[in-house]
Amino acid sequence: MVMRDYLLKRGASALVTLGLAVVLNFFLFRIMPGDPTRTVVGDFRVAPEARKILIHQFGLDQPLWVQFLLYLQNLLMGNLGVSFQYRGTAVASIIFGRRLFNTFILMGSSIAVALIIGIVVGTIAAWKRESKFDVFTVIFSLVTYSMPVFWLGMLIILVFGYYLGSIPIAGTISVGLTYSNIFEYAADYLHHMTGPFVTLTLSFVGYYFIIMRDSILDVFTEDYMLTAKAKGLSDRKILFRHAMRNATLPMVSLIAVEVTYLFGGATMTETVFSWYGIGRLIYEAVVMADYPVLQGIFIVMAVLVITANFCADIAYAFLDPRIRY
Amino acid sequence: MTAQEPAALQITEDRFWVYRRKLRDFWKLYRRSSLGKLGLVVVLFFVIIAIAAPWIAPFDPFAFVGDPFLKPSSTYIFGTDQVGRDIFSRVIYGTRVSLLVGLVASAMTIGLGSVIGLVSGYLGGWIDNVLMRITDLFIILPALPLMLIMASILGKGIMNIIIVITVIGWTATARMVRSQTMSLKERPFTEASRAIGSTDLHTIARHIVPNVFPLVFANGMIAIVDAILSEAGLSFLGFGDPSSPSWGMVLHFADTAGATVNGYWWYIVPPGICIMLLVMGFAFISYSTDQILNPRLRRR
Amino acid sequence: MDVLEVKDLTTHFFMHEAVARAVENVSFTLKKGETLGLAGESGCGKTTTALSIMKLLPPGGRILNGEIILDEEDLVKKTDREMKDIRWKKVSIVFQGAMNALNPVIRVGNQVAEAIIEKENVTKGEALRRAGSLFELVGLDSSRVTNYPHEFSGGMRQRVMIAMALACNPTVVIADEPVTALDVVVQTRILELLKELQRKLSLSVILITHDLSVIAETCDRVAIMYAGKIVELGNVVDVYKKPLHPYTEALITAFPSIAGEKRRFSSIPGDPPDLTSPPSGCRFHPRCPWQDETCRTQDPEYRSVGLDHYVACHPTERLRAKLRGERV
Repeated sequence: MVMRDYLLKRGASALVTLGLAVVLNFFLFRIMPGDPTRTVVGDFRVAPEARKILIHQFGLDQPLWVQFLLYLQNLLMGNLGVSFQYRGTAVASIIFGRRLFNTFILMGSSIAVALIIGIVVGTIAAWKRESKFDVFTVIFSLVTYSMPVFWLGMLIILVFGYYLGSIPIAGTISVGLTYSNIFEYAADYLHHMTGPFVTLTLSFVGYYFIIMRDSILDVFTEDYMLTAKAKGLSDRKILFRHAMRNATLPMVSLIAVEVTYLFGGATMTETVFSWYGIGRLIYEAVVMADYPVLQGIFIVMAVLVITANFCADIAYAFLDPRIRY
Repeated sequence: MTAQEPAALQITEDRFWVYRRKLRDFWKLYRRSSLGKLGLVVVLFFVIIAIAAPWIAPFDPFAFVGDPFLKPSSTYIFGTDQVGRDIFSRVIYGTRVSLLVGLVASAMTIGLGSVIGLVSGYLGGWIDNVLMRITDLFIILPALPLMLIMASILGKGIMNIIIVITVIGWTATARMVRSQTMSLKERPFTEASRAIGSTDLHTIARHIVPNVFPLVFANGMIAIVDAILSEAGLSFLGFGDPSSPSWGMVLHFADTAGATVNGYWWYIVPPGICIMLLVMGFAFISYSTDQILNPRLRRR
Repeated sequence: MDVLEVKDLTTHFFMHEAVARAVENVSFTLKKGETLGLAGESGCGKTTTALSIMKLLPPGGRILNGEIILDEEDLVKKTDREMKDIRWKKVSIVFQGAMNALNPVIRVGNQVAEAIIEKENVTKGEALRRAGSLFELVGLDSSRVTNYPHEFSGGMRQRVMIAMALACNPTVVIADEPVTALDVVVQTRILELLKELQRKLSLSVILITHDLSVIAETCDRVAIMYAGKIVELGNVVDVYKKPLHPYTEALITAFPSIAGEKRRFSSIPGDPPDLTSPPSGCRFHPRCPWQDETCRTQDPEYRSVGLDHYVACHPTERLRAKLRGERV
């Protein structure tokens, strides 16, 4: 019962935040200097016929509150407007396609690997506090945390792309290549993903490591750690069974926050490596002043992040028995 | 100390000594931390470079002084860029911009965040609810994409970058200040202050702010780090001011000149190392300060 | 027969600026099937003694001298690795305030079972079964092995701790303030449980507490500690009825009795000493009403004064009179 209440509360909170995001999205693009309809139809690249349709769909000749309602309606129907730079293509189709898939693959793998490494190494470093291993890993984390993501990417391209030639410099797949089977394709894809994947993982592992280490050190001060030691359990059991399970709980909440940061890092990384994903789309849209696309991405991003947070809440509820029972 | 001296002056003077003692105690603990001292040295190093730029830089950062893409030499320590400007001089002058934007943006971020946190925590009720909902929204939305979107709406330039960083970055400070304020609000001295008829503003200024300040300071270091990295990122993507190049902008020009694919490492490495070192300096200070203020992390 | 013998145990804590002489020259024995109480104010070294026996001292703590003989082995000489085998199998401990002593995210049955699995070669199912029967032994329903710690009340959590301590049939069980955090009614029940278990299983128990009434109810012998030293040790009845050491005397009289005559509260003036710089001579002398020159300069010898009765006090006139049986 406690769990149900907890989830209902978190769910309601998520919906409210989502609502706010929708409102913000609408007004953000209307506060621009000049003609407020510029963000929907104002560009010269929009064909006159399309312009008429859009003015009708989004009610741009109507008062603001009507526009807002129409915007909501369109949103629920999946109509996110029409792109400027990709003349006439629906924004929704641009976002929900190859790009989203590529970004998910890249982000998903990076976050997973960075988490695992961060958690395990963080635990070991906390156990061997002040040892050479600990000092080295802490400094390593601080260094990678301090590097701008784009610079790290540039360095990786320089060293592994230019000097060693072991990774491709840009793109998701080699241009103009034909494939005999899915494995060849996958291999080429992964080969291209190496650069951005390593960059993203490196840029995040430091943070997870430090958080985990601090969390474990906190757990070490708890009474039940002394009990575990008194029972004569092996070091490994004490560390991984007792300490880690408690220390990873706060990490779960942190992961949700990290999805947010990951979007930023992915944007930068995709731009540097020309990875065909959502992040790069943001950059391109910004450069090309493609406001409909930006507005669409904003809301998609908001939905993804809010959902991720809510999922983390659910996960936390499952992992912490104090909430469950 | 004559008997005629007003009591208020005495209190102020006492408080001065208390502050001094607290500061001295803090410094004593801080001195022990080698990371903290290192961080301080690094930051001071860059501050000195920024101030002394005109005397240290061998060339005018905007002048075309040599052939393009020259490798590092004794004349051009970091080589030249695509139009023949001396990269070393550009990096030195870039210190000014990166440092300035970092400090100004973080100051404004902390200022805005503190005000919102104080108001929200002290007044409570629906104001608190609304402000916290908005804060939650800005925390949850990814910073860089949001900054890019706002920058595309506002346009290029340093001032715009500062505005964008502030508008998106105030959340962390706001949250922290709010929870501190709320806990301080319950303390007896707040009630006492209100009981003797002080206005809310007076209570906040006199009692709550001094107690919140130490935590804000520790948080401020992180805000500076975020501001520097955000500015570097936005400049790299082309939103900086080409007429006053920060390190991020220099890297932007490096990228557009194809430095990575052509192996012009001297163009890429120095500005990035500067960003990294400056950020590490502030991060070390923040880490050491945190170790002192947060007793749970101290050696057991 | 003696199951545990502690001889001249000395443990100090080495901190940044100073050294705390927490336990010095502590000696006592524990006989099979008996409950020995370790009594004293907070900070007198009772818990440090217990942690020294189990070699669980926090960082900075070091055993400098002494022997701890359990099953003919000196624990002081054991390495950490060897201690891991000995812990829980030969000697276990019940901590106070089981609120945090149990891991909140692991089921209690598993916490009890893991000790069994670690020490003996049994399957998980068998270990859990034994956990269940241990629960029954301490008065809990065996089906509750699947619950989490927060689902129990304070008293029941303490029963879980006791069950856990008995899991590997240890020779010695140390109970550190086992009932301090509980209300009086629950206290009584837990103490009764301890007595019953001791009887049934012939346990040898060291019971640490600052509460003299608890000692009176459960212990056979008692050692009174002050400032890191044992000042008096003997049969509970002897020590309570005819205390020899001034500190013991003061403790006993400080305890108000409902049944006895009405009298003013008496307490011991002064505070326990700072263990980084304890007083010269006898550590109790600043608070002792009968201290003299010798007490101020010489540390009294801990010696036997009768049948299994030890005291650390200078042979003043007063003490001698008491030993002769006179009333003072």
